[in-house]
Amino acid sequence: MTIGPILFGAPWALVALAALPALWWLLRATPPPPQRAAFPPARLLQGLHTEEQSRERAPLWLVLFRALAATLLILAFARPSLAPTAAEAADGGRTLIVIDDGWTSAPFWSDTRTTALAAVARAERANAPVFVLLTAPANPARDPGEALTASGARSLMQRLEPKPWRPDRADAARRLAQTQGEFARIVWISDGLEDSGAQALAAELQRRGPVTAHLPARTAYALVSGAVTPNGVEATAIRANSGEGAAAIAAETLEGRSLGAAELRFSGDGRSASARIELPPEIAARTARVRIVGEQSAGAVRLLPAGAARPFVGLVDQGGEGQLLVSELYYADRALQPYASLLRGSIGELIDARAQALILPDSSRIAPTDRSALERWLDNGGLLVRFAGPRLANDSDDLLPVRLRPGSRSLGGALAWENQLSIAPFPIDSPFAGLTPPQDVVARQQVLAEPASLEQARVWATLSDNSPLVTAAPHGRGLVVLFHVSAGPAWSDLPLSGLFVDMLRRSLAFAGRADGAGERDISGGPFTPTRLMDGFGALNAPPADAEPIAAERFTTARSSPATPPGMYERAGVSAAIDAAQANEMLAPLQLPAGVTRAGLRSTIERPMAGYFFGAAAVLLALDLLIALFLMGRLPRMPNFAPFARRAAPLVLLLLLMAAPDARAQARDDPTLNLHLAYVRTGDARIDRNSAEGLDALTQMLIDRTSVEPGAPVGVDLARDDLSPYPFLYWPAPNTPTRLSDAALANLDRYLAIGGMLFVDTRDAGRSGGGARPAATMLAGLDAPPLQQVTSEHVVARAFYLLRSFPGRTQSTQLWAESPDAASSRDGVAALFVGDGDWASAWANGASLAGGARQRELSLRFGVNMVMVALTGNYKADQVHIPALLERMGEERR
Amino acid sequence: MPQSARLEALALAGDLPGVLLDARRLAAAAPGFHGRRTAGQGEAFWQYRDHRAEDGARLVDWRRSARGDRYYVREREREAAQTAWFWLDPDPGFNWSADPKRVTKLRRARTIALALAILLQRGGERVGALGCQPRAGANAVLRLAHDLQGKVSDADAPANACIIFCSDFYAPIETWRARLTAAATAGASGALVMVADPAEEDFPFEGRTLFQSPGSRVEALIGRAETARDLYAERLAAHRHAIRELGARLGFPAVLHRTDHSAAPTLALLAALISERFA
Repeated sequence: MTIGPILFGAPWALVALAALPALWWLLRATPPPPQRAAFPPARLLQGLHTEEQSRERAPLWLVLFRALAATLLILAFARPSLAPTAAEAADGGRTLIVIDDGWTSAPFWSDTRTTALAAVARAERANAPVFVLLTAPANPARDPGEALTASGARSLMQRLEPKPWRPDRADAARRLAQTQGEFARIVWISDGLEDSGAQALAAELQRRGPVTAHLPARTAYALVSGAVTPNGVEATAIRANSGEGAAAIAAETLEGRSLGAAELRFSGDGRSASARIELPPEIAARTARVRIVGEQSAGAVRLLPAGAARPFVGLVDQGGEGQLLVSELYYADRALQPYASLLRGSIGELIDARAQALILPDSSRIAPTDRSALERWLDNGGLLVRFAGPRLANDSDDLLPVRLRPGSRSLGGALAWENQLSIAPFPIDSPFAGLTPPQDVVARQQVLAEPASLEQARVWATLSDNSPLVTAAPHGRGLVVLFHVSAGPAWSDLPLSGLFVDMLRRSLAFAGRADGAGERDISGGPFTPTRLMDGFGALNAPPADAEPIAAERFTTARSSPATPPGMYERAGVSAAIDAAQANEMLAPLQLPAGVTRAGLRSTIERPMAGYFFGAAAVLLALDLLIALFLMGRLPRMPNFAPFARRAAPLVLLLLLMAAPDARAQARDDPTLNLHLAYVRTGDARIDRNSAEGLDALTQMLIDRTSVEPGAPVGVDLARDDLSPYPFLYWPAPNTPTRLSDAALANLDRYLAIGGMLFVDTRDAGRSGGGARPAATMLAGLDAPPLQQVTSEHVVARAFYLLRSFPGRTQSTQLWAESPDAASSRDGVAALFVGDGDWASAWANGASLAGGARQRELSLRFGVNMVMVALTGNYKADQVHIPALLERMGEERR
Repeated sequence: MPQSARLEALALAGDLPGVLLDARRLAAAAPGFHGRRTAGQGEAFWQYRDHRAEDGARLVDWRRSARGDRYYVREREREAAQTAWFWLDPDPGFNWSADPKRVTKLRRARTIALALAILLQRGGERVGALGCQPRAGANAVLRLAHDLQGKVSDADAPANACIIFCSDFYAPIETWRARLTAAATAGASGALVMVADPAEEDFPFEGRTLFQSPGSRVEALIGRAETARDLYAERLAAHRHAIRELGARLGFPAVLHRTDHSAAPTLALLAALISERFA
């Protein structure tokens, strides 16, 4: 039912409007609840009856307001929609909907679909059968003679997606011509582009009934070329209409990651425009497609198959590599850098890192553990590319495509019969087919295969005397490829040539494929789809029934149902069919006279129930506020002000608390500043003593030296990372216990990386040869041999010149790692063991038998210890100064 | 100024000293009592006067007389200290005001009571909250303020007391008759301070309104409040008249005070009423 331009989907709901007067009466009769007022003399009002009590009514404006809300609600339930053309006389005859469903409609597909749905809705109101003609070829093609109900047509429209090829209108006209009958109305939802069959279709349509053509405001763009050049990625776009226009093109990887973009600008009436995306070559090489940004159509995408694959390649580094330019891996590394992700490592590491392909330079036998892992990896589809060399020639294993004759063949040397050989043209079934070997690339040495074993292997390349240069053989689901020359330039010029890059890339096309490298793949065969494009230009996995395309048909294939656009692969080489041809023509559609023109979306019904529901909801919400207001329950506005005043500081405080405290983090990071460290023994008294002692020592260092440590840090041997602390003081607990395994490992590592541990047994002057605390403390530690420290030791010279090392007692004993044991660290001792209880002596306010002098000397010793920890044996030559001075004196004399 | 400083500090701390300050300010502006600065029964020295023949020898102040040729009599100041009792209505409806910006009736009543107490204390009288210990002297008002803040007891009026009842007097007339008769029977007299909120006087309500007495279940629904205005005024006047009649008959003259008016005239009127009693 329509009223003016408004169409009601459920007109029966309007009956409820008849109930409005009843609602009016009801609303009028139920007054809002009374306002409440506190009033102490309420007792005086009791029993007071005013005359108007019984005539109390809801105020008129409130009733009007509520009646309006109710009316809106009823109208909303009637599902109104704004349909400007709905009032047209709906003719009862058959309706034909013609849709151009090629990629040329994809950029405005939702408009196309909406227009089609509107046409279906109109036919539905007239109870007319709907016929649908789709102009893009499909397999099987839709029969335009099939009558559809409105709901059937609607579900068809909703499922309909644009095809990744252009409409074939001549074929559509043929299909339509085979059907019978006139149409009361023909709606042609066109892509607005001319093609060879457009006139034929238009004539056929006009013959069958009145035609309305819906044309888009802007027709589709197409990308007709795209290529990787040394300067980046270049692409050319064309269009049908004129006028100023700009678009952006973007280069993307196969996964859709954007690599770069550039602006594409059409001049006033130019039909084509080019743009270049500036990219470094190694990035440009990864481009798998170029597309017009924002243009969702298959024609706006150009596939660049070369960039589609970027395998993860492991370079097997056998260590002991010498200089760069004679290193064998250097050439493979440089060749593959732009085209593959590379990682160097041992075979085990690379397989663990899930390399898709391994490049193994000259090697003799592979270690048994690596060998089994490698075989398992090959069985799962790995690609092993091996190179020959003296070691392989000497002693080969059997992980090779062919059996090798021992030794190598030298060509063109002084003692050789043969001359240097160039590379023969590649056989047609080789993955290298199409590459042209330059004549100046020659091989000087090669390994030779047993002729019998060549039967089982594929020969991918030969030298000019037909001796194999590259052979390959499957291994399980994987593939082993052998270059019969070395990976470096020693045996041939191949690694120095550009051909090497192409050969490696084509070899790597076999990398990491789940289906492995079968015989068919190696020898060519048809092109099999790997990714297919839909009408919107998105690449998807091909359906299970996607047909391979024979090689001879592939080169001339254009986008069609039999040869859908997308990425294909043959013999490890990627190729693509694009939706738009390189010579694609886009021109505006010329409509014959008598065809009514209309835009897309011009017949759209705009549902309005939502607006009505929204308005009713707003009114009801307002009504709630009004009811509250009439009851006097609304809070007074001024009351918010004090609340806000109170809340504001709170909010500010919360914000401050939320702000990250960067300084706190910096303070917690021990690597930012030097800290002296002591081991927490668990005895609070000893720990406090250590902290105080080191604190005093820190102060001393700051006062007298250029070392300015932060506050001392207590560490837990088992848990804390010791590496930030160059000096670790470890006082013996009263009852020393053996360290836990974790602590031992931690401490071993600390000593190994160059830390200095100072163990203080604190038992100087104590008699009795009982248990030695150091023995227990260091039990299990990888402790080096010690020797007693004399005044000749670097500790006695590092900052102050010391003759003794007084601690809490005057005479102490100090032992240090012997220089022989510390030879790996240039004689710098990592471990000191003493009994002086130095921390007690260092601490402020220590009462010592020797008074302030003893404390001073003790602190000097502490300074020296820290200096040794920080500077190692820098001052060791001080030891020799007397001798040096003496010698200088002798010379002068 | 330690005392005023202390009061200021207390004013910040709670309502009590604030009321005290209000009261002090009010009392400072009031005319006050002219005390009974005459000779009479009492402890404190008042003056020496010449000995008269009718005094007899017993009254001669020998110590003073010995310094001169004349005989002197030592007179003491008359001490006729009476006690003024205060009673504030504890009803929640009394501690109410229609406008949150206006003081409640209770607070205004307390201000007036304390101001009156200050005046009386200056005159040497004792003041106290009904049911509590009365006091004289400098701290009496402070003490009274404290007592008035506390729980009000409906203790029996002491004999021959002067009682100032502060209330809105909206309780039924029978309640007040009983209370005032009991006081009058014990020989008390005094004054009634009728404190009213302007909303209670003017009845500014409109529309359908449910009136509820604070703190009680008494409520009344009026269909259109504006039409009940005259009727309410009539009933209020009748009730006030009944209270005034009752008070006048039993020796408690009534004073009406609106909280939107200044308290000074009410205080002056009250002081005049009470000073008659204390003369």
